Amino acid sequence: MSDKHMETGEGHIGYPGYFGVFAILVFGTIFTYFSSFWDLDGTLFPGANTLLALAIAFFKMTCVMLFFMHVYWSPRMIWLSAVASLFWLAIMFAYTMSDYFTRSLGVFSV
Amino acid sequence: MSQHADTHHEEFHYHAPGLQHQFEDMKQQEESVSIGMWMFLVQEIMFFGGLFTAYLVFRSRFPLAFAEASNHLNAFWGGLNTLVLIVSSLTMALAVFYAQRGNRNMQVIMIILTMIFGATFLGVKVIEYTDKYNTGLVPVTGWNKKTKKNAEQHAAEPAKKEQAFTLPLIETSAAASAATEEHAAPYVNPKGEFQWNSGRHVFDYAIEKEKGGKAYLTEAERVGYFSQGEFDPNKYRDKIRIFYYIYFVMTGLHALHMIIGLGLMSWLLWAAFRGSFGPEYFAPVEMSGLYWHFVDIVWIFLFPLLYLLGRHFLAGGTH
Amino acid sequence: MQNVDAIGSGIPAIPKDNYLTNGFTLKSWLLTKDHKRIAIMYLISISLFFMAGGLYASAIRLELLTPETDLLTSATYNKVFTQHGILMIFFFLIPSIPAVLGNFLLPIMIGAKDLALPRINLLSLYIYWLGGALTVYALLQGGVDTGWTFYTPYSTTFSNSYVMAVGLGIFINGFSSILTGLNFIVTIHTMRAPGMTWFRLPLFVWAQYATSLVMILGTPVIAITVLLLAIERAVGVGIFDPAIGGDPILFQHLFWFYSHPAVYIMVLPGMGVISELISNFSRKKIFGYEFIAFSSIAIAVFGFLVWGHHMFVSGQSIYAGMVFSFLTMVVAVPSAIKMFNWSATLYKGSISYDTPMLYAIGFMGLFLIGGLTGLFLGSMGLVVHLTDTYFVVSHFHYVMVGGQVIAYLGGLHYWWPKITGRMYSEFWGKISAMLVFIGFNLTFFPQFILGYMGMPRRYASYPAEFQVLNIFSTAGASVLAVGFVMPLIYLMHSLFYGKPAGDNPWMLPGLEWRTTSPPPTENFEKTPVVTWEAYEFGEESGLDLEAARTRDSVTTV
Repeated sequence: MSDKHMETGEGHIGYPGYFGVFAILVFGTIFTYFSSFWDLDGTLFPGANTLLALAIAFFKMTCVMLFFMHVYWSPRMIWLSAVASLFWLAIMFAYTMSDYFTRSLGVFSV
Repeated sequence: MSQHADTHHEEFHYHAPGLQHQFEDMKQQEESVSIGMWMFLVQEIMFFGGLFTAYLVFRSRFPLAFAEASNHLNAFWGGLNTLVLIVSSLTMALAVFYAQRGNRNMQVIMIILTMIFGATFLGVKVIEYTDKYNTGLVPVTGWNKKTKKNAEQHAAEPAKKEQAFTLPLIETSAAASAATEEHAAPYVNPKGEFQWNSGRHVFDYAIEKEKGGKAYLTEAERVGYFSQGEFDPNKYRDKIRIFYYIYFVMTGLHALHMIIGLGLMSWLLWAAFRGSFGPEYFAPVEMSGLYWHFVDIVWIFLFPLLYLLGRHFLAGGTH
Repeated sequence: MQNVDAIGSGIPAIPKDNYLTNGFTLKSWLLTKDHKRIAIMYLISISLFFMAGGLYASAIRLELLTPETDLLTSATYNKVFTQHGILMIFFFLIPSIPAVLGNFLLPIMIGAKDLALPRINLLSLYIYWLGGALTVYALLQGGVDTGWTFYTPYSTTFSNSYVMAVGLGIFINGFSSILTGLNFIVTIHTMRAPGMTWFRLPLFVWAQYATSLVMILGTPVIAITVLLLAIERAVGVGIFDPAIGGDPILFQHLFWFYSHPAVYIMVLPGMGVISELISNFSRKKIFGYEFIAFSSIAIAVFGFLVWGHHMFVSGQSIYAGMVFSFLTMVVAVPSAIKMFNWSATLYKGSISYDTPMLYAIGFMGLFLIGGLTGLFLGSMGLVVHLTDTYFVVSHFHYVMVGGQVIAYLGGLHYWWPKITGRMYSEFWGKISAMLVFIGFNLTFFPQFILGYMGMPRRYASYPAEFQVLNIFSTAGASVLAVGFVMPLIYLMHSLFYGKPAGDNPWMLPGLEWRTTSPPPTENFEKTPVVTWEAYEFGEESGLDLEAARTRDSVTTV
């Protein structure tokens, strides 16, 4: 296990850091709210609105995980479990959707 | 543990306060607890992951109905709640920060603030749920407000429903909300059923787009909204009800996690007040913090996925 | 060294201070945090569930003795096979090796005093009891008839049985297995004794680690799925019933996302036990340690990518089916690696055919058949013919009974002297191991033929021309039942009359054999320091191979 972990006082970004992350999160929320009124689906491509909103959500999640949840200073095992859980979620999404997206191709298509 | 084991053990090792017998030292204990908590969070992620999969499947197949339904969630309350949770996450992170510093008073203050914001979140949730209850948007029959103005209106209900689905395309959010209010007024729901009286603006918008020669409906929608080639409001309503079902299950389970979190906080508050935590021993604060941030992260995703779909259909549908 | 002393001292005695003598009150058991006592309570609980599930199995086989629907009505038959499945899978197979043998041995094998989170361990037992009690209550009220798979919309809308109560029982029980898995992962990461590096861990521990991964990543998904099912059934609205716009195939996706990996929860620990048995009873360092260790992890990971092979004829996309079919072939590779390595370990080993080894050899044969027929069922074309026939039934019984149950029994016999401090009767042990093997094959091999000929599963009646093979199967089941009941008798007998086993009755190098039998509450007098590789046989490990060869004359009753 890594030894950089758990040195008292090292495992966080300090007072201004917390407020910086907080400011980013608040900005992200407000930005998500207003960006949802732009018609990106029409101007760019269908799903662009959702993609943008999810990208912001991912960014916010990363901030919370790295700094509020101290993953940045944590041993590799913690990094691994955080990444692995998202990876497994991706497996579940991708393989389930691979069924739905390809179901009407080929012989069954109208 | 038994008396025997403890006395037997003390001959070999000095025990730090809070150190359990199976560990050699505090570092090992902290590492174990933190990995354990993360494993718990991994399982929580997969737990919500099942719901997100269900959401993904239905959303990708019936995006129009989902957008239609989502427009009737109040994005203001949703956004406010997101901010409230973010603030509570900050205070929680600061509680851990002060626990590490051994600052008891600030610890207690931060935990109290976290609890206040958590409770605020739940309060807003109650307001939202009440609104859904009053307007017949709870997907379960009998769980909505039962309104019975008089028998005549009850008899006339089917006709009105039909009319509701023939609203013209609404171009602006102002017009949309006006239309909603207009139709909220003669609301009759004697059995407390799930009702959808707010038209099919998003669907119409898509049909309008399709006239431009561009395929806009998904293959599932071409089957899922029509009966014998005709638009079927009941089938459209079924998909909208699925959105509300997913909405209630997701936010309900999230709220349940918040309530459990508040329980944890109360215990933490009591322990912090007694000065249990300091630079050597703050694992409970840190672990509760991880849980709290996790619940926050779930909401960070729920907010855009549930509240913000297809708002542009109403706001900027100018093409 | 301790081992030498144990061999030299002639008649071993049971140590006075051990985990069993540390308190005799009911409270000292129910509130214990000792992983060994929790394992014993698990052992008793899952044995009860195994017997209940076994009774249902007997009812099924008796009904199928004749082509007509005579002993049970069709409706009762539906309930009987459903409850057989639910009890055996969720309440016996899944907790069997992890919660009993894993719980007892994992901390000892890595040289720890206890699991990392003992209170969580006790909590998992109570959750198991709670889920079990709810399920048993539902079964007594009238049971459930959906099949253990709870397919929608039958389970959400049409079934008139206690789906919700059983579903909630399984939901609750799921958290027991999540907490066990969580505890194991933490323990293996943080509690290893000095010198116990990752590649000195016994392969049983690696297998438990892989199993725990599956438990943590998969079980929550079944929990939420069953919860959604219960909500849908309770309120009449949901996402699974097509009549109200739902999608039954989504249920199957979510269900099998867990339940296919759950198959690996049910066989990986068994593979871990077999790795121990094969190496130790061949008295030879296991061949390809790293390959076996990593193949466990590979099975755990690839196991999550193949669930669609349960849904080939459900209406799933054929293109997704092709991917799932291909990956099913891929997941067979790590299992095959294990089989080859075990065979290579046997080669030129000095094999002793003790009861656990008989089980291990039985496992290799049965799992080979079970695994290969799995490939038949994983190929998209053939499965159209075989879906929902007795071929499937036979296949998964070969994997689960021929794999996990046999491995569990083998492991239980192997570690019985460590757990209780006493030897069972080797004679009766061997007889019962052989009866189980013969009875099992007689029961399930005819079912491959029946399935191939087209006999569908889940029916109480069948065409008369299938009767001969069904009689074979029922006859085999009787033999199998005798084989399962015998250990119950002679193991109980050994508790009171068995010869004290001594610390290391098999004369093996593993860490669990270097403490007393039964072990003291904190497992070791002082924390052991590991200086040897896993499965290192030889003088330097304190083992006299010659003495081990002539061991039979010492320990056999």
